[in-house]
Amino acid sequence: MRKWPLRLAVIAVIAIGIFSFRTLKQEPLYHTQSYVFGTLVDISIYGETEDRAKLLADHVLQDFQALHNQLHAWKPVSKDQASELGTLNIAFASGRKPITISPQLTAILTDAAALSLQSQGLFNPAIGHLISTWGFQRDEFSAVNIDDAAIKALVKIKPGMSDIVIQHNMVYSTNPNVKLDLGGYAKGYALDMAAGYLRQQQVKNALINIGGNIIAIGQHGDKPWRVGIQHPRKPAAIATLALLDGWAIGTSGDYQRYFMLDSKRYCHIIDPRSGYPVQHTQAVTVLIPPQRNAGVLSDVASKPIFIAAAEDKASTAARLGIQYFMVIDQQSNISVSKALAQRLDWLDPEVNNNSHVKLVTLP
Amino acid sequence: MLAGDWLTIILSTIIIAYLFQTLWSHEHAAKVQIRIGNKIHAAYDLNQQRDIIVPGPIGDAMIHIRQGKVRFAKSPCHNQYCVHQGWLTHSGQVAICLPNQISLELIGAQKPYDSLNY
Repeated sequence: MRKWPLRLAVIAVIAIGIFSFRTLKQEPLYHTQSYVFGTLVDISIYGETEDRAKLLADHVLQDFQALHNQLHAWKPVSKDQASELGTLNIAFASGRKPITISPQLTAILTDAAALSLQSQGLFNPAIGHLISTWGFQRDEFSAVNIDDAAIKALVKIKPGMSDIVIQHNMVYSTNPNVKLDLGGYAKGYALDMAAGYLRQQQVKNALINIGGNIIAIGQHGDKPWRVGIQHPRKPAAIATLALLDGWAIGTSGDYQRYFMLDSKRYCHIIDPRSGYPVQHTQAVTVLIPPQRNAGVLSDVASKPIFIAAAEDKASTAARLGIQYFMVIDQQSNISVSKALAQRLDWLDPEVNNNSHVKLVTLP
Repeated sequence: MLAGDWLTIILSTIIIAYLFQTLWSHEHAAKVQIRIGNKIHAAYDLNQQRDIIVPGPIGDAMIHIRQGKVRFAKSPCHNQYCVHQGWLTHSGQVAICLPNQISLELIGAQKPYDSLNY
């Protein structure tokens, strides 16, 4: 019987071996969530040690916080110091005297002006006064008394990005009614910034989600990163898709920031032509192929398509160079461009056995 | 002791270890993970009836777990979007209360996606 200790030892070694093999096989996935930009920031890093992943994610979050302080449309940095954007808005309102801004903000304003032009003014970050009138420039907003006259007046004074004159790092506005709100741009810009930083730090695989806008680097182990697209009226995803290296995705919806008044929904996306919140659309999703400003486009490009009337949505997408898009209208009808339809895996059973999904062809 | 005995012992050990790992970890597969800010606050089995009070930065939120589903039942936030989200049932579903920085995420054996676009 003296062989028993040996046999037990063999069994123990095998069992320990299996356990450690399974533990080692556990994914090197680091995941963190934080609250920046008044929203949820969710960063996944794959294939780095936990310590390094944490350092990198913390650095990205600090950059986000700095950008947030710089670009905040209504919150000052401190009691007597406005954000860089706030200072600029004060200067715009008080006349044509040029002020100096950072090279970074210069680049942002130049780019935002070009995108505004390309969208024929539907993307218009100069309508801060309108957004404020509707009560959306607050962390906690509620139903407002709709002042038709004030809204009409704010539309009539036509604040636009073309009113802003940029010379080197000096800037002024020819229209004192311009008030910048980069709420539809900053998150996308932050995505590009974070992806650029992580790539520069040799990170091969990461997924960055800022308030629903997502950009991918590499993939999740041996599979691509997979993202779900939120259903605008259910607490679930409507579809999933593989988000490949360098691609970005963004959705504009009427379900994240809105208030109800007389059983009507007023969302935060305002049509600069009428001054009123858009009420014909629930959600617009755009998928952006790899390019220098994929994050910015994922944030910006969904807005003009959201604002455009149903018959103009495809041409608006085409004008912005967007091939992959999905529109869900107020009756929950879904229109998907052919290019995007090929990449979607529907999760919602109602979509699978229903004919309310329409394929749209770009003009 | 024959070679066959050894084989039997080794094979049974492998099978037991494998079954233990697989069954043990999947038995309580459906869980809800609650985060406050950037910290994981707790994870709860969904197969129970339980009310949980979660202290967020602006106040206490009440979370209901009811046999396989979970929801925000009460929240001190202004717009109550989190409460209006209703019941979460499937792995990967998320409810977030931004003002109170509390999130609920359903975690299952398989995650249908890595992150949610909204």
